[in-house]
Amino acid sequence: MKHLLAGASIALMSLTGAAAAEEYPERPVMMVVSYGAGGATDFQARIVTMTAGNEDALGMPIAILNKPGAGGRVGWNWFATQADADGYTLAAYNVPHFIAQSIKGGVEYSTDSFEPIANWGADPAVFVVAADSPFNSMQDVVNYAKENPGKLTFSGAGLFVGHHIAALQIEKAAGVKMAYIPTKGGGAAAMKAVIAGEVLGGVNNLSDAFRAREAGNVKILGVADLERSDFLPDVPTMMEQGLDVDNASVNFRGVMVPKGTPQEVIDKLAATVPEMFKNSRVASKMEAGGSPMLVMNREEVQAMWAKRQETLQALLAGL
Amino acid sequence: MEFIYYFGDVFSPLSFMLLLGGTIGGLILGATPGLSPTMAVALLIPFTFQLEATQGLILLGAAYTSTVAGGAVSAILLKIPGAPANIATTLDGHTMAKQGHGAKALQLSFLSSAVGGIFGVLLLIFLTPVLADWALAFGPSHLFWMAILGVTVIGSLDSASVVKGLLSGCIGLWLSTIGFDDIMGAQRFIFHPSLGGGINIIAALIGLFAIPQVLTMFAKGRNSGAAEVIAVQKHSVLDALRELIRRPRALTIGTVTGSVIGLIPGVGGQIAGLVAYDQSKKFSSESEKFGKGHSEGVIAAESANNAMVGPSLVPLLTLSIPGSPTAAVLLGGLLIHGIFPGSDLFDNHPEVAWTFINSMLIGQILMCLFGLYIAGLAARVAQVPQSVMAAVVLALSVFGAYSVQSSMGDVYVMACLGIMMFFFERYGFSAAPLVLGLILGPIAEANFIQGSMIANATDGMTTYFLGGALNKLLITIVLASIAYSAWMELRQRRSQTPADKTEVRT
Amino acid sequence: MNRTQHILPSGLVFAVGVWITWISYTQAPAEAFLFPRLIATVFVVLAGWTFAKAVMGKSKVGTGLSRSMMLNILPGLAVMGVYVFWAATAFGFYTATTVAFFVLLSLYDPSSHRDAWVWVKRAVITAGFIAVMYALFALLLKVYTPREILF
Repeated sequence: MKHLLAGASIALMSLTGAAAAEEYPERPVMMVVSYGAGGATDFQARIVTMTAGNEDALGMPIAILNKPGAGGRVGWNWFATQADADGYTLAAYNVPHFIAQSIKGGVEYSTDSFEPIANWGADPAVFVVAADSPFNSMQDVVNYAKENPGKLTFSGAGLFVGHHIAALQIEKAAGVKMAYIPTKGGGAAAMKAVIAGEVLGGVNNLSDAFRAREAGNVKILGVADLERSDFLPDVPTMMEQGLDVDNASVNFRGVMVPKGTPQEVIDKLAATVPEMFKNSRVASKMEAGGSPMLVMNREEVQAMWAKRQETLQALLAGL
Repeated sequence: MEFIYYFGDVFSPLSFMLLLGGTIGGLILGATPGLSPTMAVALLIPFTFQLEATQGLILLGAAYTSTVAGGAVSAILLKIPGAPANIATTLDGHTMAKQGHGAKALQLSFLSSAVGGIFGVLLLIFLTPVLADWALAFGPSHLFWMAILGVTVIGSLDSASVVKGLLSGCIGLWLSTIGFDDIMGAQRFIFHPSLGGGINIIAALIGLFAIPQVLTMFAKGRNSGAAEVIAVQKHSVLDALRELIRRPRALTIGTVTGSVIGLIPGVGGQIAGLVAYDQSKKFSSESEKFGKGHSEGVIAAESANNAMVGPSLVPLLTLSIPGSPTAAVLLGGLLIHGIFPGSDLFDNHPEVAWTFINSMLIGQILMCLFGLYIAGLAARVAQVPQSVMAAVVLALSVFGAYSVQSSMGDVYVMACLGIMMFFFERYGFSAAPLVLGLILGPIAEANFIQGSMIANATDGMTTYFLGGALNKLLITIVLASIAYSAWMELRQRRSQTPADKTEVRT
Repeated sequence: MNRTQHILPSGLVFAVGVWITWISYTQAPAEAFLFPRLIATVFVVLAGWTFAKAVMGKSKVGTGLSRSMMLNILPGLAVMGVYVFWAATAFGFYTATTVAFFVLLSLYDPSSHRDAWVWVKRAVITAGFIAVMYALFALLLKVYTPREILF
């Protein structure tokens, strides 16, 4: 009985699918965010979708749905297995998080489960220390770690997320062993550990670190990206400081749909969504919130996903 | 004293309207079984897009304050806490309502909420810099001991049998480990796909408290003669005020405990009410009356859970670190207007910061006034026929559980836990310790694991978890709490005649 | 009678205790199961104690269940089960809630079923409640609930 019903509804859906693509979207669209309300991803997702209801964008509002848990695994698992592939359920992706998790295993998704639409932001990981820390450059950190192997504690928001990737890359590039302390409760908890002096340093989001530095609580020692950030022109990259760390840990945020979404819908979204991100109101709000933007179209994101998949597979192979 | 300059802004027509709207709306949302403060605030965020930063924050601040207090209404009248913070209120509050003192319980709860709430906001105004250092002093090892302190409350909480109370707590602790483990990412006890995200605390709370009430109403059947109508005696506000003044101990313990616990990031207000309830029970000269409709129980629990509101914002406003889920949502509300909490907020946008804080102060008073008015209407709520009430609560539970994170899985978990709880309650298991276990489990575990990772990299487990003044202080409190509970238990057993022992509490 | 009634729930809890203890000590990775092990150990000891007490007939706390009570609960429980586990997603939240609300109201309303006015009253209460729910959740709070038939 259950199978019959499910079969019938699938048949019905595919019948209506082709016709619906023309008028898509004819009702509000949902976007799943795999992190809690108030987090950086949630906050940015709300800003970049706020103009979705405009006539030159989708013409329908996008509602944010939070499905937090286990570093994003809960939301993406739900999205890969249970979301309707009709274009009315979108999700925010965080690269490298979901790719690293799928390589590590134990989840029901991989890059093949999703179709990227567009990228809106790139938030590099940075290395922070408390404002009163004796460390003033990455060299100081590496020297300390060399003298005290395994004793340099530094926090980050969990395992197999951007922060962890950056941590692994730093350790590998410097050839040292440090103690990465994953926290529960995201970047905010990791930042608190740094400010309170529970750990000697930490990897955190550039946007959050920028705010914490404005508040006078931390020093930012290095950016794990290929170039310096516009927000922090005075902070050198890891490469400049002699650490071979590329942009594999940069937290790319964007929109995707489940595999199996009608091609017409994907095309329509791929054409409108990047334009929606470029709206000037969105840009000014994002800048005010300290969130670096990087708009990429569908093809660029596909290439970026493929490249990350390769890098991360190599990096995580030893774990 | 800077805050006084900005009082005028709160009373500008639009701001005051928003404050009024936020307070009344918050009270109603809070009183609705199944809507927690965090959710109410999160759901209100989109409204603030259209407003200016100050006005948006006034709305959010007012809603935060009054949803916490509003949760007491359903806790007292229906034994369904609106949020984890109101669990302790059900213990004495609902018993009072059953005895016909619903109006009195509500009046007491709003008055003590206002006292606690105003104290908390004043702390926020005057002691923010000092408190910020305090909030940071709590590292993983201290938070671990705080959670253990919470666990010591479990055994003595609302259960006729200590062993069954502890067992209920253990069930809660176990339920909290279901799902993906946040730090390692391992899957634990996921025997059904709905459990992948773990058991959501709000969904569980709705299920464990609301569904047994629905079934209890069903159990009375169609026979109107058997259905007991809860009478609500009229009670004057002045009498309630006098009662409050006669109980300074409960009020003080509640307010202080709430403020201190609210301050600690990560523990949040969820356990403030329960710890305050337990403490005032231990210090009370009439401790045997607790749980049987004693006004001190309501006063302690409600003053604590509103006192925590102000201090819980200290880490957010000064350090830009959200100390509770609700604070995290508020952070989003600030950032969307381009305001960074921290010194930037007080230096460059003092009008936003102080108007927000002032609005919470005025909000407490408005909340109290409207709350007292609602208390007067309590008699009407109690007259709603059981059949209507059962259907209303069931529907609200389903909608409430679903809207936490738009997940059907949460609704299933809510219903299953609720139905189980109804039957287990008939055999001496109880919901309050179970929920407490569910709340404390993740706090204890995450901090233990994090602490032991830091300890292993630095000075070793013993020094890290047992060294330091704060650790020692907390351990002393934990030991004292256990010893006192054990002593009370022994004394009670000795004084009881065998006939009393078999006495049944429902 | 009371003894058998007590054995069932405490036996169930004990069984769960044994099951989680077994899982905690056998599953990998061990670090992730450190805390569950601790809980499971205490759990199984307490559950064993409770179960033993129940078997010996020494469990005294709680009111138990009576036959008439179960008969009163069963129809409501059945409606609830169908509503929560099937109708809510199959028909959409508002449609399912309307039907379930009306059925529950009629099942447990003490007024006579023969009186037409009573039915009108029930329908009005149901319609009013659904209107409030729709205004609160769909319009004010903008919660997107499953919708299959109507809203």
